[in-house]
Amino acid sequence: MNAPLEVGRFGSGKTVRRIEDPTLVAGKGQFTDDLNRLGQAHLIVLRSPHAHARIAAVDVSGARALPGVLAAYSGADLVAAGVKPIAAAIPFPRPDGSPAASAQRHALALDRVRYVGEAVAAVVGVSRDAALAGIDAVRVEYEELPAVVDAVSAMAPGAPVLCDAAPDNIAAEMRHGDAAATDAAFARAAHRVALDLVNQRIAPSPIEPRVVLAEMEGDRLIVTLSSQMPTSVRDGLVATLAQLTPAQVRVRVGDVGGGFGMKTGIYPEDIVVAHAARSLRRPVKWCAQRLEEFSASVHGRDVLSHAEMALAANGQVLALRVRSAANVGGYATATGVLIPLLVGPWVTTSIYDIPIISLHLTAVMSNVTPVGAYRGAGRPEAIYIVERLFDAAARKMGVDPSELRRRNMIKPAQMPYTNPMAQVYDCGEFEKILDKGLALANWRGFASRRAQSKLRGKLRGRGIATFLEWTGGNTLVENASVKVLPEGIIELTSATQAMGQGIATSYAQLAVDVFGVGIDCIRVLQGDTDRANGFGSAGSRSLFTGGGAVHVASQRTVEHAKQLAGEALEAAASDIEYRAGRFNVVGTDLGIGLFELAAKQSAAQISMDGTARAGGPSWPNACHICEVEVDPDTGQVDVVGYASVNDIGRVISPQIVRGQVEGGAVQGIGQALCEQVVYDKESGQLLSASFMDYALPRVDGYRGFKTEFDTSIPCRTNVLGAKGVGELGTIGATPAVVNAVIDALAEAGLGRAAEKLQMPLTPMVVWRALNGEFDSVRMP
Amino acid sequence: MTSLRLQVNGQPVVTDIQPNTLLLDLLRGPLGLTGTHCGCDTGQCGACTVLLDDMAVKSCTLLALQAQDRHVATVEGLADATGKRHPLQEAFMACHGLQCGFCTPGILMAACGLLKSVAQPSEAQIVDALEGNLCRCTGYVNIVTAVQQAALAMAPSGGSR
Repeated sequence: MNAPLEVGRFGSGKTVRRIEDPTLVAGKGQFTDDLNRLGQAHLIVLRSPHAHARIAAVDVSGARALPGVLAAYSGADLVAAGVKPIAAAIPFPRPDGSPAASAQRHALALDRVRYVGEAVAAVVGVSRDAALAGIDAVRVEYEELPAVVDAVSAMAPGAPVLCDAAPDNIAAEMRHGDAAATDAAFARAAHRVALDLVNQRIAPSPIEPRVVLAEMEGDRLIVTLSSQMPTSVRDGLVATLAQLTPAQVRVRVGDVGGGFGMKTGIYPEDIVVAHAARSLRRPVKWCAQRLEEFSASVHGRDVLSHAEMALAANGQVLALRVRSAANVGGYATATGVLIPLLVGPWVTTSIYDIPIISLHLTAVMSNVTPVGAYRGAGRPEAIYIVERLFDAAARKMGVDPSELRRRNMIKPAQMPYTNPMAQVYDCGEFEKILDKGLALANWRGFASRRAQSKLRGKLRGRGIATFLEWTGGNTLVENASVKVLPEGIIELTSATQAMGQGIATSYAQLAVDVFGVGIDCIRVLQGDTDRANGFGSAGSRSLFTGGGAVHVASQRTVEHAKQLAGEALEAAASDIEYRAGRFNVVGTDLGIGLFELAAKQSAAQISMDGTARAGGPSWPNACHICEVEVDPDTGQVDVVGYASVNDIGRVISPQIVRGQVEGGAVQGIGQALCEQVVYDKESGQLLSASFMDYALPRVDGYRGFKTEFDTSIPCRTNVLGAKGVGELGTIGATPAVVNAVIDALAEAGLGRAAEKLQMPLTPMVVWRALNGEFDSVRMP
Repeated sequence: MTSLRLQVNGQPVVTDIQPNTLLLDLLRGPLGLTGTHCGCDTGQCGACTVLLDDMAVKSCTLLALQAQDRHVATVEGLADATGKRHPLQEAFMACHGLQCGFCTPGILMAACGLLKSVAQPSEAQIVDALEGNLCRCTGYVNIVTAVQQAALAMAPSGGSR
């Protein structure tokens, strides 16, 4: 019953048991597919088997004639019903100055399909089996067209064209920096290095497939789905469905089985399911099969880059020059284009004082699944480039790669620092983080570890990545509502969205700091557009924006409640002190409990909103060091050491942030070593469409992480001093691992030729490299 | 329709089902045990793992009829009759062995199957037992630790707990 002790145990900075967990470990979570409604119908989507084809005819009449089929829709049916295309407002120009281009995208394709898996028709049945039988009865006449699946081929003259407004398939193009100054810097440079880099296509692969359940409540449309951005889904439905206002839609999100950026914004299936529920006036559910997740949920990355670095004789980097082509898929979206053309460039120079850059970036359409956000979204691609270049330069110059990085790091005295993309870093002590990282990894002891590996017949390599990332999603204002309820509950409402990251627990800890009550008293409400609206959760923004709002709203609630306590106790509010769930008149034993006070109010609650406004993105940064062993006989790569020191400012939930960095690092290791979406070059067929063909990391991978946090450098631009953490591990791991493998192979005799390795570093790729064989990749 | 008789979490179940009903769909549908999840529908992710006579199986690739006269255990049956959590559930909470929690029921059941046959498994045995379960959030780091901790807690001496 000792309240201050409770606070000490559950407030920020302490490891607490997550409030999400009791439900989840009991199997009592409420994932969307766990919900079933009376009279619920099932929707199945018919998808294009072709990468590129004209649709000559779609005949759904056979499906409609079947017993148990409630409705069948073609693209034309939806247009006739007033369903509008999905808008793609892309704020970038094409090379000729014309606006960004993309083919018009309909929820169900109208006259052409542009990737395998594109939705073409939908059938609603009283049961899943009835709907499946209906799908079999849909007739689609396709006229196949030639397909192209990679960015460079798509830009080549004579390539199949996806969209008339872009005969070169370029959706948009951006040039950043100063090309002439860059050329001059390269001309005077003592050292120049150049790399061709493939940042391969990734399937985000949350284990919960997408599920949508739509139903009518009177005249209101209620859509429950697995999403990171409920408000964006609501707005997307309003923008596409006929005669629907925001007030007529409620989007709800229950438990989300992983997001990783993939569940941001509206999907075609959301629109079709909502349309079906509205027109049939009964609940309709659609559950993606894993095959549909692979072919019809957004992919990430897929950027080809030719990257160059110019250095002075002393190792000072003079300039960076990058030419990239991002394959954004069959339809360009604002997110798919923004990520490679702007978000990545914001961190191109990372933590280094590089004055001059020249970036030429194109977003190219081809006959593959559209690209969207995937954990890191632009920053992993940019950081991979600069970290690979530093290793290449260090190898060429014969300098320790950590030393070359150190010489170029921005100094604390330079803060706030404006990088060549006009991004302002508020703080950062990068050399200090580097030193701690080198110590944690025992950098100097590597030679003896390499010798020991050699005795076992293994090639040992070491890779480093020192980096920062941009967080906040460019939406830095967030609101929170607090309600104190008589039953002893403090309810926090936020438009940010839980997706497994433990944000509810972190918010609860922040509320405990202010209210001084046990964490069991805190309840967090998210995922309901009737309760809160906002940007949602992406870009590692939730804690430092939404958490700030929770902090502010909690403080305002206590201040407001002090006034109410003054009234109840007939004392001046200035004489009231609040401590651990109780208001007391100073110097007396007169007092009232917080929840008792709530019960006395006419509304039987005390409620207050709060807004937090961050002054800029937060810039989490880190030093990640990986060691690998390569088996020269098989090409197998094993991660054998991984040490990281991370500056994420103030830490609210130590166990949660460790889980974010280490779990995120395993995703980054997955990209480095095994994951890859593969399309057949001729047919455009998706070859990696199951977990048998797409290799996610499994339990036999590396788990021995050494992870530390430096909390001494709080963010200066938000009320909490916290920096985003959700994507940090993923961004650092990929270059650290690849640099380690290249180091091992370079040392094994390949020298700088090892830099031709391209991800994923599968045993086959590494074994062939050891035998001098590399895949050639056409670069932009 | 075919008649099916089995035990689920210790309770007798008698029902008529279509012969092509998957065990997963029987559990999640008519029996309302939605803790068992469908992550890939092809037997590769393990979110649907349950115990069939104490052996971990993937319920998405098993016909319900294959459970005829047998005993199925799901995540809902892990806690004891009083609602006290199983040591595995406690350990997953304590070790942060879950994030989004979608794969967790399957992983708990796979681990439970292991501990039924090997009370004090080695790390290699744990890794082997969980090889068929995918987790995208945790990187598996805390999952293996949690299983080790649960095994210790379940030891006759009560382990270090």
